[in-house]
Amino acid sequence: MKLQVFLGAFALAVGLIACTPNQNPDVLTLGGPFEFTSQDPARDGYVYTRLQIAESLLEVNDNGELLPGLAQTWDMSPNGLTWRFSLRENVRFHDGTPLTAEAVVNALNMALRKPGVIQSAAIESVNVEDALTVAVHLRAPYRRLGAVMAHYSTAILSPASYREDANVAWMQGTGPYKLVGFDPPHRIQATRFEEYWGKQATIPNVVYLTGHRAESRALQVMAGQTDIIYTLDPASLNLLRRQDNVRVYSDTIPRTIQIKVNASHPFMAERNTRLAMSLSLDRQGLSEKIIRVPGGEANQLVPPSLAEWHINDLPPIKQDIVRARGLLAEEGWLPGADGILERDGKRFQVSLITYADRPELYVVATAIQAQLRAIGIDVDVSIVNSSGIASGHHDGSLELALVARNYGNIADPLGLLIADYGNHGNGDWGGMGWHNDELPAVLEQLKSERDPVLYREKAQRAAHILAEEIPVIPVLFYTQQTAVSSRVQGFSFDPYERNYRLSEMSFAQP
Amino acid sequence: MIGLLLRRLLQAAFVCWSIGTLTFILLRLLPGDMEFRIAAGRYGHDNVDLAAAEAVRAELGLDQPVWQLYLNWLLDLMRFNLGDSLVSGLPVVHEMLHLLEHTLMLAGAATVVSLLIAIPVGLYAALKANGWFDRLSLMVSAFLRAQPIFMIGLALILLFSLELRMLPVAGFDGPRYLVLPAISLALAMAAVSSRVVRHSASEVFRSAFFTFSRIKGLTFRQAFLRHGLRNCSLPVVVFLGIQLASVIEGVVMIESLFSWPGLGHGLAHAIFSRDVPMIQGAAIALGLIFVGLNLIVDLTCYAIDPRSREAA
Amino acid sequence: MRRVKQLNGSQQIGAAILACLVGFAFLEWLLNGTDPAVQNLGNLFAAPSLAEPLGTDQFGRSMLARMGAALRLSLLLSLVCVLTSATIGVALGVLAGWREGWIDRIVSFVLNMVLALPGLVLILLFAGLAPGSLLMLYLGISLVLWVEYFRVVRAITRASVASSPMQASRMLGFGSFYCFKRHVWPALLTPVLTLAAFGAAASILALAALGFVAVGLRPPTAELGLMMVELFPYYSEAPWVLAQPVFAVFLLIIALNLLAGKTK
Repeated sequence: MKLQVFLGAFALAVGLIACTPNQNPDVLTLGGPFEFTSQDPARDGYVYTRLQIAESLLEVNDNGELLPGLAQTWDMSPNGLTWRFSLRENVRFHDGTPLTAEAVVNALNMALRKPGVIQSAAIESVNVEDALTVAVHLRAPYRRLGAVMAHYSTAILSPASYREDANVAWMQGTGPYKLVGFDPPHRIQATRFEEYWGKQATIPNVVYLTGHRAESRALQVMAGQTDIIYTLDPASLNLLRRQDNVRVYSDTIPRTIQIKVNASHPFMAERNTRLAMSLSLDRQGLSEKIIRVPGGEANQLVPPSLAEWHINDLPPIKQDIVRARGLLAEEGWLPGADGILERDGKRFQVSLITYADRPELYVVATAIQAQLRAIGIDVDVSIVNSSGIASGHHDGSLELALVARNYGNIADPLGLLIADYGNHGNGDWGGMGWHNDELPAVLEQLKSERDPVLYREKAQRAAHILAEEIPVIPVLFYTQQTAVSSRVQGFSFDPYERNYRLSEMSFAQP
Repeated sequence: MIGLLLRRLLQAAFVCWSIGTLTFILLRLLPGDMEFRIAAGRYGHDNVDLAAAEAVRAELGLDQPVWQLYLNWLLDLMRFNLGDSLVSGLPVVHEMLHLLEHTLMLAGAATVVSLLIAIPVGLYAALKANGWFDRLSLMVSAFLRAQPIFMIGLALILLFSLELRMLPVAGFDGPRYLVLPAISLALAMAAVSSRVVRHSASEVFRSAFFTFSRIKGLTFRQAFLRHGLRNCSLPVVVFLGIQLASVIEGVVMIESLFSWPGLGHGLAHAIFSRDVPMIQGAAIALGLIFVGLNLIVDLTCYAIDPRSREAA
Repeated sequence: MRRVKQLNGSQQIGAAILACLVGFAFLEWLLNGTDPAVQNLGNLFAAPSLAEPLGTDQFGRSMLARMGAALRLSLLLSLVCVLTSATIGVALGVLAGWREGWIDRIVSFVLNMVLALPGLVLILLFAGLAPGSLLMLYLGISLVLWVEYFRVVRAITRASVASSPMQASRMLGFGSFYCFKRHVWPALLTPVLTLAAFGAAASILALAALGFVAVGLRPPTAELGLMMVELFPYYSEAPWVLAQPVFAVFLLIIALNLLAGKTK
C-alpha cells in the first residue's frame, strides 16, 4: 500500500517537473569557467564588461581600433602629456545619478589605487576640466593610453558604488544590464536597465552560472539548460557539432598558446635546444586532432589579427624530428639507454606546468609531453593554479610552462609585450632567464612613436627578434569555442573578450 | 542525557582545534608563493605580476612568522572569527553560512528521498524474504554500491538532462537544480540502507515476540506498529549514524559534479586555490555537521530505546 | 586450496573475478611491451583490432596498455594501503584490547580525532597538500582505514581475553604469545579478512574519486577515475573506450564486495 502511494507521488513529482521546460523565455542563461569573487573592476572587471553591466570610456572594434564609449571624443596634446576625454551627455548610472566628469575622475582615481594595466601609464593626475570633460596628465608620453581606457579595469562606476577603502560595495555601472544578484563564485543575475543611453537590450534577464567542470558545461547547453557556453573544451566539440539544437562558433582571438621556457636553465640556454623543442612539435596534429580546429598552427607569438605585430611571410614551422635530434646532438645531447637524452651524465628531464582555467591547455600539454618524449626529452606535466606561472618565474623554479597569452588584453599588445619582455627580455608571462637588450629598447621607443609607418616597422622588428631567438615557443593560435543554443539570435563574439554583446541578442519565437 | 550532550560538545571543540591545527600546519608546508596564488584569484590571470603579489602580501600580513600567524588564528577561532578568505577577501563565516545552507538542503533532501526509497523497498523485501523482489533489490543494491558515486550522477544526467531534457545538468538557480544531485546521493545511500531495513525487519518478523503478538490475535498491521516498528527502527537509526560519514563523502563528489554551491564543492575548490582560511572553514564546518548529525542520532536512539536511558 | 573451498558460492565468484583482473594486469605487464603514454595522433579512437585488442583513446594511446597500467596501480595501491592499515590497526587493537589502561585511552583518543572527520575529507586534505603525489594518497587512505580494524580487533580481543578458555590457558602457565596464537588470532582472522576486502574496495573508490575532483594523480598516469573523467566527453563518440574503466572499477568493487561476504 505504502509502496504504491510512494510510487504514485514520485511519478507525479517527476511529471510536474517534466512539464516545466528547461528554457525560460525571459532569461538568457550563460555559462563559462570564469569565477568571480568581487565586484571590483580591478579584480573581476572583465565579468561585468562582458555582461554589459559596466562600461569604460572607450570601446574597441573587431579590428582593434578604438571607438567612442562613455567618452564621445578624445584627443592628446601635442607634447603627448595631456589627454582629454569629452563625455557623452544624458548617461545615467544604474542608481539614477548622471555621468559627470567628477564621477569619472573618482572612478579612475579608485582604479589608480589598485594594481592593473593603468599603472603601466605614468599618470600624474586625473582632473575635472568642465562638467563633461576629463583631463589625464601624464609624467611621460604614452601613446596607448586610449587602449588602457578601454580596459575592463578602468570601467566607470558611480561614486556611490565605492566604499571608503576603494573597494566596490555594489556595482552601479552604466551598461544596458543592471546587476541584481551576486553569489560569488557561482551566479550573477542582471536585468535590463530601462534608462540605458544607447539601444535597449532585447532580452529582459541574464544569468551567468560558473561551470566548474568542462565536461558538464558542454552538457548544460545540450540539455537546453544554458543558452550560451563560453570556452568549451575541445573534447566536447564533436559531440556538440552533431547536435541540431546547438551551434558551435569557432572564433580566432588574439590569444596564443605558447611554451614559456626558462632560458637560464642549464639544459635550455642554447637557442639550438629551444629550436629543437619547437621542431619536435606536431602543430598540425595538435590543431586538427587535439584542438579539433584545423589551421591554428602558430609560427610566431602574435596572431595575424594584430597586423602591425604579425610577420606575414614567416614560413610555418614543420615537425622535423631528424633535424631536432641533430641540433640537440650538436649541443652534446645524446640518447641514453632508455631513449632519454643525456649530457655529462645528466638526463634531459624537465617539468612543464600549466593551469586548468583554459580547458585545452591540459590536453595540449599531455600531447606535447609525448612529442618531446619522442626527441628524448622527459617532461613531467603538472597542473597548477595559473598564478603558479608568475610565482615560478620569480622564484626561478619554473622550467617550462604552457600558457595561453592574450595579446588583445588591451587593444594594442605593446603594453603587454613590455610587461613580458621589458626587463632585459624577461617578464612574468614572457621571457625567462633570457638576455636581450634590443627588444626592450625597441619597445621603449614604440611607447612614444607617433608615425604609423615607423611604428609598424619597429613592431615588425620586435616580432622578428622574438621569432629568431625563440625565448618563448609558439604552439597554436587560440580559437575561442562557443556553443550557442539555436533559440539565440544575433550572436557574435568579441575577439578582445571585452563584451559578450548580449544586448544585441534575442530569442527566436518558438 | 547531559553526559551525552557534553561528550558531543567536547568532540565538537576537539574537531575545531584538531582540524584547524592540522590544516594550518600542513598548508604552511605548501610549495609555491601564496601571495601569487591569491593575486591571480583577485586580479585575473592575465594580471598577475610582482606588483600585484606585493600588494597582497602587504594587505594580508603574510610575511609574519608562522607561529604568530598560528597564534592569531587560534585566538580568532576562540572568538568564532574564522578570518577572511584569501581569495575573495570576504569573511569566511559569511561564505560558510552560504555554503552550509546549500549543503544542508542537499543532504536533507537526499536523506529524505533515500528513506522514502529504502523503507518501502526494505520492508517489502523483508516481508517476501528471498522472493523475487528481495533478490532484485539485492542485485540493484549490489550494482549501485559497486559504482563510484559520480557514475550514478553522470548516468542520471545522461538520462534526465540529455535524453529527456527535463532537468538542468549543473549549477544552482532554483529548486529544479536540486533534483538530480539529491536523487544521485539518495540512490547511493538507499543502496545500503534498504538492505539494513530489510535485515532488521526480517529479524523482527522472525522473532519470538512478534510471532507471539500474532498468536495472541493482533493483525499483522497492529503487531507491526505496536511491537515491530520500534524494534526494527533502532538498528536502522544506528546505521544511519554510521552512514553519515558516507553522506558527507558523497556530498563532496556530488557537489563537485553538479557545481552545487555547497561545503564539499567549496572545500575541493579551496584546496585547489590554496585558500587556507576557506579550507579550514569548510573542513571544520563539515566536521561539525558530522558531530551534530551524530548527536541527532544519539538523541533519536535515546528516544526510541528506553534501555539506553538507564545506561546513560 | 583448502581456504578456497571454505568460501561460499558468491565468495568464490568474487575470488574468480578478482583473479581474472589480477591475471590481466600481470600478464599485460609481462607480455605487452607498449608504453601506456605513447601517443599516436593519427590513430584516435581506433576500434578494437588484433593489434589493439581494446582500441585506442583520445590521444591514440593503446587502451590495452593503459587498462593494464591502471589496474596495476589500483590493485597495488589498495594492497599496500590495506596491508599498512591492517598491520597498524590490528597491532594497536590487540594491544589496546589486551592491555587496556592508558594505551587503550590514548589510542581511542586518536581514534576519536580521526573519526570526527569524514574519511574522504581527510584524504582530500592530504591529497591537496601535494597534488599528484601517490605517497600522500597512500598516507591519507591508510590513515582513514586503520580505524575500522582497530575498533573491531579491540572489541574481539577484549572478549577473547576475558573468555574462559583463555583464562584456563593462562592459569596453565602458557605465555602471552601462545595465548594470542591459540585464542585471539583465530577469532580475529575472519573479520580482519572481511575488513580487508572492504578496505581494498574503499581505497580503489577513493583513488577514483580523487581523480574525479582533480586532486588525484596527474596525466599521463593511467588511473581509472582520471580515465573516466577524461573520456566522459567522448561518451557518444567512443562509448566502448569510456566503458572500459567504468567496467573495470565495477568488476573490482563487486569482486571485493562478494569476497567480503554478506554485509552486516
